[in-house]
Amino acid sequence: MLEFMRSKRVSVARKDPETFSIQAELDDSIYSLGLSLRVRIRDLKCLSIKGEWRRWTTPECPRALGFLDQAEGFILGPGIEDRIHKTLGRNACRHFANLLIECAQVAQATQKMVQWEQAKESAPDLTLKAFMAGNGSKRPGLTAGGDGVPDSREGSGERPGIQVVENQGQPVPVPEKPERNNDNKLGLTPGNGFMVDLHIHTFPASACASDSAGAMVAAARERGLDALCLTDHNHVWPQRAVDSLMDHLNFRIFRGNEIMTDQGDMLVFGFDQAIETVIKLKELADLVERAKGFMIAAHPFRGFLTFGTGQLGLTPQKAMEREMFNHVHAMETLNGKVTQKENLLAAQVAEGLGLPCTGGSDAHDVSSVGRYATRFNDALASEQALVEALRSGACAPVSFFT
Amino acid sequence: MSNNILDFSMNRCTSVRAIDTTRLKSECTLRDSFTDARVEIIVAMPDLTISSVTGHFHHAWLRESDTLGPVFDKLVDVRVGPGMLKIIKGLVGEAEHLKELTYMVEECCHGVILSLTKKVLLKAPDDEAAKADFYSNMVMESIRLYDRCAAFAKGTPLVEGYERRNP
Repeated sequence: MLEFMRSKRVSVARKDPETFSIQAELDDSIYSLGLSLRVRIRDLKCLSIKGEWRRWTTPECPRALGFLDQAEGFILGPGIEDRIHKTLGRNACRHFANLLIECAQVAQATQKMVQWEQAKESAPDLTLKAFMAGNGSKRPGLTAGGDGVPDSREGSGERPGIQVVENQGQPVPVPEKPERNNDNKLGLTPGNGFMVDLHIHTFPASACASDSAGAMVAAARERGLDALCLTDHNHVWPQRAVDSLMDHLNFRIFRGNEIMTDQGDMLVFGFDQAIETVIKLKELADLVERAKGFMIAAHPFRGFLTFGTGQLGLTPQKAMEREMFNHVHAMETLNGKVTQKENLLAAQVAEGLGLPCTGGSDAHDVSSVGRYATRFNDALASEQALVEALRSGACAPVSFFT
Repeated sequence: MSNNILDFSMNRCTSVRAIDTTRLKSECTLRDSFTDARVEIIVAMPDLTISSVTGHFHHAWLRESDTLGPVFDKLVDVRVGPGMLKIIKGLVGEAEHLKELTYMVEECCHGVILSLTKKVLLKAPDDEAAKADFYSNMVMESIRLYDRCAAFAKGTPLVEGYERRNP
């Protein structure tokens, strides 16, 4: 039985020698909307945009129309998608943004068509393929970049995107699956112990963050944390830079890394290799094991219980069967960016599997630093001590700052 | 200047069907002046992992993708949900002839999410006041909706309850 259908149609005509007229429709089982654009052919500048709702959901959806004019002046060329997502997608509606991206792609393709027609005036036998081959056959881009050739890494036997930047970590024993931590995994009120926010993003190391490491440290100190861990996305902080920050700010800072795998994000500690693209979880687990590091499944059920997908009846028992949990040393069961239900499911699964639990704010700005943290029994003076403490399981996630 | 004849046409259709109680099939087809392509994914429930990806890609000037199997195989076991777009792009790579296919896989995944969303939205009451309460509660349940679009923007009526609870 058909559960859902979405049709999108975009057509382009030349309004005059300088301008495309673009009409676009999105019609699906939930929404129906349209866009009408004028786009300058020469540089694909959006000269005007009008939108129309036909069917929508919430009583407030019509507000989106008031934000569409933010796209006026956009150059709808390759690489515009992120800007559309971040402006129209966030301020107006992601379905209008989705349709505008289709318009941008079609505008790029039509511009190629026009250029080919112009070239044929002096070379009537010129085929589209030959024209594109001789004209730098840049595909009207869905994203920026791309070189028009297959990925040279394919089949080379190399691991894609893995480069050793530095390895200053101290040798530590081969990690073992820690003993089960019997502390309350749903979050304890902070008491005695050494409090570390194990999950922090900073700008510019994480493009999605908005505050500097210095600002995050200031917030951590103000809220009474003992340390924080820099876990920027696929980013290795140089030890010297962190030492300098610690000296300057007089606060304990550890280095970590949030690495994207095919099975979701992983927080790794005691591991200094820069992984610059998505990596298979099993492959990362092997590398971390070899480096004698420690790996935590970050927000392991983020989005699993979002409205809609939450109706699927995912039980803790069923969730425990996920193969990914065979490769991690611990689970983040208090994360500041997921729902309470998702944190609770993570805690139930961790308990069922006997995995240690950690907490971290996942803060991307100062406002949420320390919302959750991990409590250790003893003060931690080095990254090696952090890894060893994690491995011992002598830690617990806590609700720290509200 | 205009003869009212179109210079370019594009039609993209995504549909989602239940194969049985544990699997969904999501298919995206694209036909435009340059392209004829199709991608199909099968998603296993309840944790929404991709169990297979198939498809074809024909294009007026880009390389024909006649060996897509290994590319699609990289996506098996990826979960449909938050963060999936970066994962899919990262696994497939940035090769020019694969960008459209990547986009079509994403469309299939969005279709799966929207098919589940539809089932929840069907429960929204007809009464306008009750409907507002329904969507206000939705924001309370899922913080990711907060300030993510005009309807749930900071300071707007549907998020008042959330903002009172989280000043």
